[in-house]
Amino acid sequence: MSSNTLALGGTGNLDEHHRQSRQAQWQADKWMMSGALLLGTAVFGIFGLPLFLRGLWLQIRAERSGLTMRPVIVTLIGYLVAVDAALNTIGWALDLVAHHTLLARVFLMAWGNMFDAGYFWHYNELWIGGATAPGEKSWEIALLPIVFSMRIAAAIGFLQMKRWGHQWLIVTCWFGVVAWAGYIANMTLYADVRYTGVVFPVIGWWLYDIFYITPFLALPYLHSVNREIFSD
Amino acid sequence: MNESQSDELPLGTTPAFANMHKWLRRGLIVCLCALVLEGAFTFPLLAVWYGWPTLSLQEICTEFERIRFSDESRECIYPYPLFGPAEGAGQTTARDEWGVQPRPQYQAIEYRELVRRVEARRARENQ
Amino acid sequence: MKPPSISEHDRRRKKALIALQLVCYGYLLMMFCIQLYMYSQRDW
Repeated sequence: MSSNTLALGGTGNLDEHHRQSRQAQWQADKWMMSGALLLGTAVFGIFGLPLFLRGLWLQIRAERSGLTMRPVIVTLIGYLVAVDAALNTIGWALDLVAHHTLLARVFLMAWGNMFDAGYFWHYNELWIGGATAPGEKSWEIALLPIVFSMRIAAAIGFLQMKRWGHQWLIVTCWFGVVAWAGYIANMTLYADVRYTGVVFPVIGWWLYDIFYITPFLALPYLHSVNREIFSD
Repeated sequence: MNESQSDELPLGTTPAFANMHKWLRRGLIVCLCALVLEGAFTFPLLAVWYGWPTLSLQEICTEFERIRFSDESRECIYPYPLFGPAEGAGQTTARDEWGVQPRPQYQAIEYRELVRRVEARRARENQ
Repeated sequence: MKPPSISEHDRRRKKALIALQLVCYGYLLMMFCIQLYMYSQRDW
């Protein structure tokens, strides 16, 4: 960092540099936050991406100009695990509490018929409504509050470079590993229910869902980053 | 690893992990873009595959229900009564090979197949 | 700032993290292959 600070030498002292850095970071974060909010809704994601990328570009440009910014990979991990959790939350909350809306009965059914009949087979037949595939409902009830809402909270702390954010992101990403391991084991065991009469069995599901492996990408970083960059 | 390279490392990345972090960053960008594209295009593409806009969403919902429960007399009730029983509760028409691994007997729905189903039914009714 | 030389501690941590990733992705790949095998055996 010393060379970067020197590059700024003429414009003022360390306090000034610090103030400018924070301002630039906040400027970039405003773009990225509004982008990420849209990304988390799935449907409007395409409008969110340009906003997010502009924020990312602002951050990288400020860093190049010599300001002390949050590392790009921290930014990417923080926003991506939040978006991943938000997308999961939307789909599963729809299934858990809004299973009789037209939206759920058209789009969850359509998705289910195309990739995973866990969301088609005997749908809305349990007294609790929604998905009926063995185990599916239990995963929703367990993972929504424990993994996804906690991971969004942790991601916010992580983006603020707080120590608790780093620690809780590790915890919730490990929850994510447990969730992935258990969920696909369940899926493989009851593969007949889930893939019979489906338009794109197996390959379709994997192509669609593999991009939710963000906890696997975040964990190696979280365990190898120099923890001193996160403060209390 | 020489001096100038370690100076360019991002905050928090030690030289030992520079390479790993670079690859993780690439993976993260790929996942981000893929999730966005999926989020943006899934709903419209699914709607078109299953017959929208020729069929209304409620008609698609009805067809799904008839296929799911193998019962041509079912209708998709919308809006559904708020505290009513689950729509499929107690149904006896769905066809499965029951066993420890149940196997449903409905067929996969082809591209725009629901449109053809609805049109065939209308033609029959008009005769 | 840490000296640019890679410490023994870092080296071991790196090995462990690479092993962890191999296990994770290996598990996913294994499940995928099991499902592919089932797909080839049944009329889904």
